[in-house]
Order: sequence, then structure tokens, then C-alpha cells
Amino acid sequence: MELSRRGFLQATGLALGTSLAYELSTQSQAFALEGDAPFKLVNTEEYTNICCYCSGGCGSICSVRDGELVNLEGDADHPINRGGLCSKGATMSQLRNIVTEDTREIVYNPNRMTKPMVRRPGTSQWEEISWDDALFEIARHVKDTRDANFIAEENGVTVNRTEAIASLGGSQQNNEEDYLILKSMRSLGVIALDNQARV
Amino acid sequence: MTGHWNDFKNADVLLTCGSNNVENHPESARWVRAACDKGAISIVVDPRYTRSAAVADVYCPIRPGTDITFWGGLINYIIQNDKWQKEYVLTYTNASYLVHEDYSFDVETGLFSGWDESKQKYVTTSWGYQEEESVAPNTGTGGAFAYVLKPGTPEFTPPHKEVPRKDMTLTDPNCSFNILKEHYSRYDIETVTKVCGMDAETLEQVYSLYASTGAPEKVGAILYALGQTQHHYGSQNTRAMCLVQLLLGNIGVPGGSVNALRGEPNVQGATDMAMLVYDFPGYMKWPTVASHPTLRAWLEHETYADGYYTNKPKFFISALKEWYGEHATVDNDYGYDWLPKIGSTDFTTMSTFEQMDAGVIKGYFCWGMNPANSTANTKFARQALSKLEWLVAVDWVETETACFWRAPDLDPAEIQTECYYLPAALIYEKMGSISNSGRWIQWRYKALDPVDEAKPDYEICDLLWSEITRLYREEGGPCAEAILNVKWDYHRDGKIDPRAVSMALNGYKWKDGADWDSRELLSTFGDLGADGSTACALWIYSGFWANNDDRWEAASQKVGGRALEDPSGLGLYPGWAYAWPLNRRILYNRASADAEGKPWNPERNVVEWTGSEWVTNDVPDFGFKTTAADGTVTWTPPNNKAFMMLWEQNARLVSYSLKDAPLPEHYEPFESPADNALNKRQNSPMIQFADHPSVKRGDRSEYPIAVTTYSVVEMWQTGSQTRGCPALVEARPEQFIEMSVELAEEKGIQNGDTVRVWNNRGDVKLSAFVTRRIKPLMVNGELCHVVGMIHHWGWAGMYSTADTVNDLAPNVGDPNSYIPEFKAFLVNVEKA
Amino acid sequence: MSTEMAIYFDSSACTACKGCQCACKCWNSLPSPLGLNANEFTHSYQSPMDLNGNTRLIMRFEENESPKKWGVEWSFGRRSCMHCSNPGCASVCPSGALSVDEATGFVRVEEDKCIGCRYCETACPFDVPRYYGPDSKVNKCTACLDRQENGRAAQINNGTGVTQTQFNVPACVHTCPPGALDFGPRDEMIAKAYERVEFLKNREIDPSPHASVYGDKLFDGAGTHVIMVLKYPVETYGLPVDPKVSPMVDLLGWMKPLTGLAAAATVAGLGLSFLTGIGYKRDTLHYDEKKH
Repeated sequence: MELSRRGFLQATGLALGTSLAYELSTQSQAFALEGDAPFKLVNTEEYTNICCYCSGGCGSICSVRDGELVNLEGDADHPINRGGLCSKGATMSQLRNIVTEDTREIVYNPNRMTKPMVRRPGTSQWEEISWDDALFEIARHVKDTRDANFIAEENGVTVNRTEAIASLGGSQQNNEEDYLILKSMRSLGVIALDNQARV
Repeated sequence: MTGHWNDFKNADVLLTCGSNNVENHPESARWVRAACDKGAISIVVDPRYTRSAAVADVYCPIRPGTDITFWGGLINYIIQNDKWQKEYVLTYTNASYLVHEDYSFDVETGLFSGWDESKQKYVTTSWGYQEEESVAPNTGTGGAFAYVLKPGTPEFTPPHKEVPRKDMTLTDPNCSFNILKEHYSRYDIETVTKVCGMDAETLEQVYSLYASTGAPEKVGAILYALGQTQHHYGSQNTRAMCLVQLLLGNIGVPGGSVNALRGEPNVQGATDMAMLVYDFPGYMKWPTVASHPTLRAWLEHETYADGYYTNKPKFFISALKEWYGEHATVDNDYGYDWLPKIGSTDFTTMSTFEQMDAGVIKGYFCWGMNPANSTANTKFARQALSKLEWLVAVDWVETETACFWRAPDLDPAEIQTECYYLPAALIYEKMGSISNSGRWIQWRYKALDPVDEAKPDYEICDLLWSEITRLYREEGGPCAEAILNVKWDYHRDGKIDPRAVSMALNGYKWKDGADWDSRELLSTFGDLGADGSTACALWIYSGFWANNDDRWEAASQKVGGRALEDPSGLGLYPGWAYAWPLNRRILYNRASADAEGKPWNPERNVVEWTGSEWVTNDVPDFGFKTTAADGTVTWTPPNNKAFMMLWEQNARLVSYSLKDAPLPEHYEPFESPADNALNKRQNSPMIQFADHPSVKRGDRSEYPIAVTTYSVVEMWQTGSQTRGCPALVEARPEQFIEMSVELAEEKGIQNGDTVRVWNNRGDVKLSAFVTRRIKPLMVNGELCHVVGMIHHWGWAGMYSTADTVNDLAPNVGDPNSYIPEFKAFLVNVEKA
Repeated sequence: MSTEMAIYFDSSACTACKGCQCACKCWNSLPSPLGLNANEFTHSYQSPMDLNGNTRLIMRFEENESPKKWGVEWSFGRRSCMHCSNPGCASVCPSGALSVDEATGFVRVEEDKCIGCRYCETACPFDVPRYYGPDSKVNKCTACLDRQENGRAAQINNGTGVTQTQFNVPACVHTCPPGALDFGPRDEMIAKAYERVEFLKNREIDPSPHASVYGDKLFDGAGTHVIMVLKYPVETYGLPVDPKVSPMVDLLGWMKPLTGLAAAATVAGLGLSFLTGIGYKRDTLHYDEKKH
């Protein structure tokens, strides 16, 4: 199979991400730079991804150096978007990183909440909680709620369901994640399983 | 969609109605433009002059919620002016089928035959066909049901086929076509303009341009989105578009199709996976108490008498085998009894808030979803959330749902809900597959680690499941075996690995004791069995991850394909990613050629019968050959079976498949500025949830202004993500209401004024955007003001906040899809 | 010059998605306001309303009455540096922060050389340069010369004969969903623009009688390195029909050695570039006496 990406990667000589490695990784070379300022994409690895907004399925390229996102833009090879990305797609890097106003430094987006949190009943703020504690508490809630509200039979039919737990979501996740969510929730007896398809 | 994004370039005419495609699906602009640069005409029908309208050739306004009238008028125009594609309609649709003698529609009551007043629903028998004969299922060698005799297949009786009576001369008044013709004869130009509000000249121009695609060599594409679906008759809107496309011969043809521009990145995948109350993965039905109390009942109820769904049991049993693994055997009905069965109470999204409010639902998981800000009547939704015992929000940022307890209208001290926020990884911080609107399954590579403590959703789900199963192992519980017998083996080197799940979705031969390094992956769902010999979580995805030789590398799988060859020149790109099913790029592609198998237009050659064989540019979507056990191929000459996923294998004009009507009929929105001018029933008889006290219907005497809600390109959904991106906030810093110059003058409102918009459900303040792009419409002879609001704001987030516009939308919905009516309701407006 | 290049903008194909505006921000790591509701509300689709110290490109919106029964004439304009062939800004720049790129003809920006004198602001016929930071550094479109110089073309036959590129064209051009932006040799872009205008004028349905090419003939034929197809009249895009370089340019050009020397004393190592900046094609700058 002729991989069109190949021509491009050879031409740019970017170091390759493992995901796109094919057999080309040995051929990569450093950029020949002019001037003092290093080009933004020097020594970056590339990974392709798909946009997280509408259902167009536009391709993007994430350029990564030293484990940090340096650039994200449309994938020129992608037959749907040909490198194009709208305002939302073109700004996907800001979901992770933003630029400070005063010093133009790149920092993690402070709007993102990156630790598990709990808000206790009747209180008005979040408290940090460890992953282990959060998982332990949620599992406890799930089991207590399911077991106290389990319907085994209805009119002589085995129904094995609980109406007390609901799960909403799926359109933001990958297919593999959806299957795990579906499988876990349905296996608990959840009927109220829905996603953004309706709203 | 039955086609895909690139396919727009093949159209002669593109009609966008109920979508603002260039703004909300921006890449569609590239392909609409590609068509127009070759001479195609693009038309936009929308309540306001949108960015899509700005780049279209023809713009036509329409009052929100009157789409069926618009489409019905087009159907009538097509038939009256003899623009329909006769060979297509006669060959590939049920036009000639005789509908039941008892079929009727009564303009006086607005009801079709079969209405049961006491149950408030239709008995749909009279919408079906007159029966010619009943044919027994063929279980003999080579028969469609030969497989039922294989050992391991659960016992069930395959259905008889009730062969419909036909009249190919279309003289019988009960022909599906004649019923359609009669039904839409009321939808003349004058009536349509009276209901919809545009002028006759513009309407006729639109009708004439679009009806021109009825010529066999021409093709037209309809582009739609939530503007068609978010009505309490949204499913009927989509049916109406299908009817137009069938009459013009535009389905299955490159450049044609009814193109659903879906709103979420993986809403296609989530629907494929059945993240929906009533569905089972791969467009099958989740078991219900009423129809499927046992596995046998499921198989007998769901298996079709003819067409491809005679194979449905193979897909269902294979899914059960993947679900329960070694615990699923023919003796225990493959674990069928462990699956939860749906009762009589509805639990779709709007109902879940009624059930929370009623205390039935006590715990809630939200995976990347923000209903406290996005559902209809969010004020009620938030009050319902406050009755929960616990809530888990898995997201990238603090959404309004995660922090519903600090909504401006709630007091945290009174809310006893324990709320958890679990930080999720971004799309480039994890790997997995995603399916776009064109059914392309594509791979997302992980580029870097999540920030701080964020984790991929798959890992969060796995950790939760492992903790829950630990509790059940240690403590037991009611029907714990339904949980403990679940096969959950998607680990590699002790860590959850989504690629193992990809293999499960793809399907494999079942072998006791085998693992993901040894299971034989299947390249087609044609190899699935109903006898427990195969396991497959999502049959339609078969083949997307089937390379046994490099099974952990996405780039070696078809899903990772990056070949750009396009031999047909039609933009099919067979080597790029994988389009379900079977890498088929255009569904129903048999209909791209005539009865003899010649393409309607040689420029749009997808499949062609040479006289001795089929030459194909796409994977054929019909029975085109049979391969004998010895490998001998016998070609199947052209026939009329272009729609093999229906038992008739012909598309339906009159249809008994939806709950609310056999043919789309105009009803007014739940809250409407006008009386129904087409029949004497104001709303669809099947409107859902209208009686719930939280709905608080408003009347036009108090709320005379028709409103529609929509998105802008710079923002997305509730704004949780986009309001977190400073460049987007800068590009779209505020929420606005768009209104006409005329209404602004009437209300003394200047551009930029803060205005109050309210109805019985809510009250919001936002900025007025006075524009000539919206004009008042004449409806039933009276002036009707229309306004539009964007809906991307809430109280959460650190860069931009504002009132929640969805507080105003009515929580009533469609009986088939349960979608709320966001797109047409009533408000009043004043300067704040 | 090797090959004069140009950015092509087709307002009739533009969908005003602001992908270019955002891609510019992201590629160039330009900040946006971060305070809660800190952006000025614009009551318009346009935002921000003009270029600023951190914004080099905005989409411009203007609604005008349409002769048709429904809708408006909605002009989607691109407001950014036009990259004049004879740029007043570079001509007056005393420090060499602004200069004409020999290879392409775009106006190069070297921020580290900027001394914050703001002469370029006065000199620009399109009111483009803006400034940021305590030292008042110039902020304007660079035509992504960094990409042009370092990126490489990907020669890909995609089946339609179109060659795809990555990282070697300006970020705004690369991201444009409908392909309203393009980038290439200036003469090719001009030819493409005229072809498009003919197409728009002669459409059977919805012809555009006012369609025109903008940028190729301005400044007595010197033109710019942004070539536009304007669907509606020029004024509706907020563009001057016949832009003139400010008369101050001549004056500033004369004064430059003095101020420049003073500034150079405070900015080490800039002497050479300062000198090379002097008098760049200064004689051809135009002064319209009738208007001043």
C-alpha cells in the first residue's frame, strides 16, 4: 500500500512518532535552520488525531516535543479537511495549553480541572480527593443504590434491572470507551442509559 | 449519513434545510463549494440568513417548526409537475405496494387510521400492506434460515414472509404512491407560503431548482441537522426528506442522500454502540419485558423474514458471546436473562429528570455530558439533579452539571447530593477509534500523557468496574452473577488497553482459553454465527480491526488506513480509514444504477452490471454474487432489491415503522404563534411529556414571539470546552439574541442593549443583536416575529459566563427519538 | 527576489468561521484576555472589533441591504497586514524590525529589533501595526515566514491533482476550511483572482456584479502581497478604494537616522540592520496632495 503520508514525512524530515513510524523512523533528520530563532517544530514527533467538535471527523496533527504539545493543526493529507480546521478545531491545543497575557508564556490551561474532586452534601465547594478514595466511595454508592433498588422479576419475567442509576454520555468518548461504559452500566442493570444523540 | 462528507462535491443541487452547515460543520463548506465551482446550485432554507446562506446561491426563509409543510409542498410540486424519477420509484420503492384497505387520514381530526384514544397511541396495522401470500421460511440447504439448524443455535421459529400485493400500473388508489399523492395534494404553494411565511416566488424557485434533480442523470443532496430533528415531530421531518429524495431518485447515488450532519464528534459511534435506552449495539433492540421476555421471543420478534436481517440472530448471539464469554452457552441462552429488561417506564434523557424529580433515579453518571445546561428546560433539570443522592461527572473541565449545586438559582446548603468530579484525558492524551457522520471509523493516536491526574475515560471506567466487582465478589448482592459473569478481559500487561476492545468490537472466533494475542479476528460479519462459535461486540464494525498479523498496531489495521487513492474520482477513498459496514462508502448503492444495472449517470459510476458481472467502485450494498463451497462465484443479475436492510428490500413511501404517522403530516410546534392550517389538530397526537407539570406551556397571547435556538461556529454545545479556550472566547465573547430591525423598533431595543427574554419556564438576560438577517414573516395572514438565540453559556468556567438559554426550551419531545423541541417555541422580549 | 509570493483571499468562498483568526493566535502563541468576561462585548459577529497588540488577523463582518427579497449582502472581510510591495512601515522603520523579505516580498517582522518608536503605525495605509508589552513591540502579521522558510511541501497526489502542503504555508491559509485562502506565486494568485471574479460575475443564479480583485494594482500598480477577491463593493470590507501611504512617511524617513541612532544606542547590536533599513524604495512612496 502506498502511504501518501510517507512522501510528506520524508520531505519534512521530522522525527516520527511511534504511531506513524512505519519504517521511516530511521530516515528522519534535523531541520536545517536559518537565523537564530529555532523553528517551532524542530525535533517534534507527530501524531494524528481526529477533531473533538462536530462529526466531520477532520484530521489533525499533534506535534510533540519532550512530552509536551508544541502545535496542533489540520492534517493536510486528510481527505475530508485537507489540513483545514475551523476556529474551534484550530484552537484544540488550548484545551491543554494557553498563553499568558503578560509574558506570553505557555502554561497548562488553568480552567481545566485535573484532579478528582468531591463536593460533600450541603457544602458549597469542591474538596480534593485521591483517585483511590473517589473510586472506593463511588463503587460503594453504586452497589448500595443498585442493591436497594434491584428489580429481579416483573410479571413473571426475569428483568434484572435497577431504575435508580442513570448514565448519560458517549458522544464525546471513543468507541472502545463507549463499549466499556455500555457494558459496565448495562451489566449493573441500568436501563436509563442515554447519550447526546437526543440533545 | 448514507454517503459521506466528500460526497457533497458530486451533487448537482444542494439543499440545506434545518442546518447551518458551513458554520456548524465547517468542513462541509469545502465540499459544497467544490460542487458549486463545477456549476452546482446551493440553496439554504432557514429562519434567518446564516453564514451558510451567505455563501449559497438561493436563500429562502421559513418559520421555525414548519418543515413538514415545506417538504410536503415539495412532494406535491414534484408529483404535480411530473418531476419524479419513475423508474427509480417503481423499481426501488414500495410505490406499487397496496396499503391496507383500512388506511385513512382525516383532516377534520388530524388523525390517521388506527388511533386508540384511550391509550393515546396508534395501532399501526392499517398502515401496513395487503397480503398476497404467506411464504414459509427456508431452512433447507442454501436457504436464508439454514443456519437455525446448526448445533449451538438457540431454538426459535423464523418468521413467515407476508408477500405484499402490488399494482405496478399504479392505478389502484391504495397504492403507496397514490396515497402519498393524495395526502400531499393539500400542500399547494399558497398553503405552504401561508404556513411557512416565505413568498411564493422564492418558494417556487427553490422547488423548481430542487425538483430538477428528478431527471435520472441529475442528483440532489439534502443537508440537515438538529433544525429538522429537534421538534416533537422531528422523526417525521426526516421521513419527509427521505420521501423527497426517493421520489427524485436521489438515495444511493453519489451526490445524493439525506445527509445528517451530526453534532457531536462521536455521536455516530455512540449510536452505533447503542448508548441509548432502547437500542442494542449495531442497531438492534435492547430487550423489553413486553416484546422480548426470553431469548426465543427476542429472536422471533426481531428477525426479518427476508433481506439481510434474516441474519440478525448471528449478530445478537455473537454480541452475547462477547459480553459473557465462556459463561454464555446455548444452555443458558447465552446469558440473555442477565441483561436488564426495559419495563413500561421511559428513561430517555428528558424522562430521567422526571424520574430524578420523582425520586426513582438516585445516582447519576455523566460522561462528557452537561445536561444541567444542555437539556430542554434546564431549570427543571437542575432541580431534579438536586434530588439525587450522588452524581459522578467525568469531564475535562468543571461543567455546569458537575457544579449544578452552585447554579445561581440553587442553594448548596439545601442540596444533599454527593458530587464527584473525575478528570478525563483529552482526545490527544489517549488512543481509540471514533466514527464520523459519514460512518468513517478513524483512529486517534495518543500524542502525550494527560496533564496531572487526568485519566482516559476507558481507564476510569475500568477502575470503577474493578472496584465494583471487588465489592460484589466480597459481599455478594442481588443477581451478582449478572455482574461477575461479565467478560472483562481487555487488559494487556495488566493494564486496560483499548486495542483489546477494538478487537472485541471487530469480532473473532471464539475459542475457550484463547486471549487477545491468539484470537482469530474476523474480516467480515458474514462469518458470524448464531451458534456461539463467534464473538463480536458490534457486528457493523467487523473488518475495521482484522489484521491478525499486527494486531496491536492501529496503523496496520484498516481503521488506520491512510491511502489517498481514489480510483473512481468520486471521493470514495477506499483505503482511508474504514467505513462501516464492510468499508462501504455509499449505502444503498444499488440504487445508483437503473433496473438493468446501468448507472443513471456514467459520471457517477459506483456499481455497474456488464451483462455478465458487476463492476464496482464501492463495496456493493446488495446481493450481487454467491460463492459456493468450492469457491465458484455465481453473479446475481440486477433485480429490484436495492434496500436489503428492510424485509421488503424496497424503500418505503407509506411506512408503518414510526409510531406517530405513516406519512409526515404538519402539526404546529407545542408552543406556536399560529393555528394549524393543514388539519384541525394543533400538535401531533403522539407528543411526549407535554402533560408533565414542569413543562408549563405558554400561550401566544402572552408570548407572541417565535424563537429558535442554534449554535455559532466559535462555540460548541454548552461551551464547557470552547468557553475554556481563550482564543474562542475572544472570537465570540458574549451570548446574543438575534432579532429583526422591525421587532427591535417595536420594542425600543437598540443593538447591544441587554434584553430580557422569558416564558413560563425561565427568564434570561442577553445581548441584543439587531439585524436585517431576520425578517418578520406573514403567517396565516398575520405578522409573525421570529428571534434566534445561541445557547453556549452557563455559570461555570473562568473566562466567560452568562445565563442558561435552555432554561426556556420546552421539555416535550418526539415519540420515536425522544428528542426535545429546542427549535421552535415561544417567548417574549423586552429591554432589560 | 526569487519568487514573489502572495496570500489569496476569496471573500465569496469565505464562511467567516474565524479559523484563520484562531490559527494565527495558536501558531504564533498570541494570548487572549484571560479574565472573567474580560473581552469587550461587540454586539456583532466580529470580535475583537479591531486588531490589537495580541491580534494580527480578524474576520470583519458588514451587513448591507440586498436588492433581493430576503437576506442581506453580508461582506466577510479579512483584516490583517496587506504586505504592500512598497511598504511604508518598513520604509520608516528605524531599527530594521520591519523589512521586505527578499525571497517572497512579504513584510518581515523581527520583534527583537523593534524599539517601540511606532513610526510604522503612522506609515501604514491600512492602519495595521499594533503594539504589545511594556516596551511596545510591534505586533503584525509575519506571513508566517518561519513556516515558509522551514516547512516543506508535501507532494501528494490526492486524486484530484491538488498538491497538499503542511507547515510551509501561513497558518491561516493552511487552516481555511472552504479553501477561501490560498498561498502561492503572486502572479498565479492574481490570475486565480481574476478567474474567480469572472466566474462570480457570470453565474447564472446569484451573479455578483460588483465582484473585483483587490491588491494587485494598488499604489500605482505596486500592489500588495495579499490578493483579494471581493464579492461586494470594496468599501463594504472596510478597505480603502485607493489607499495612500501617509505623507508622514517622507518626513519620518528623513528623520529616521536621528531617532534611529538614538534608539540604536539603547538596543545593542542593531546598528547594521538599522542601516540596511534606511531608504528602502523610499522614492516610490506616494503622496496624494489633493487629499492632504
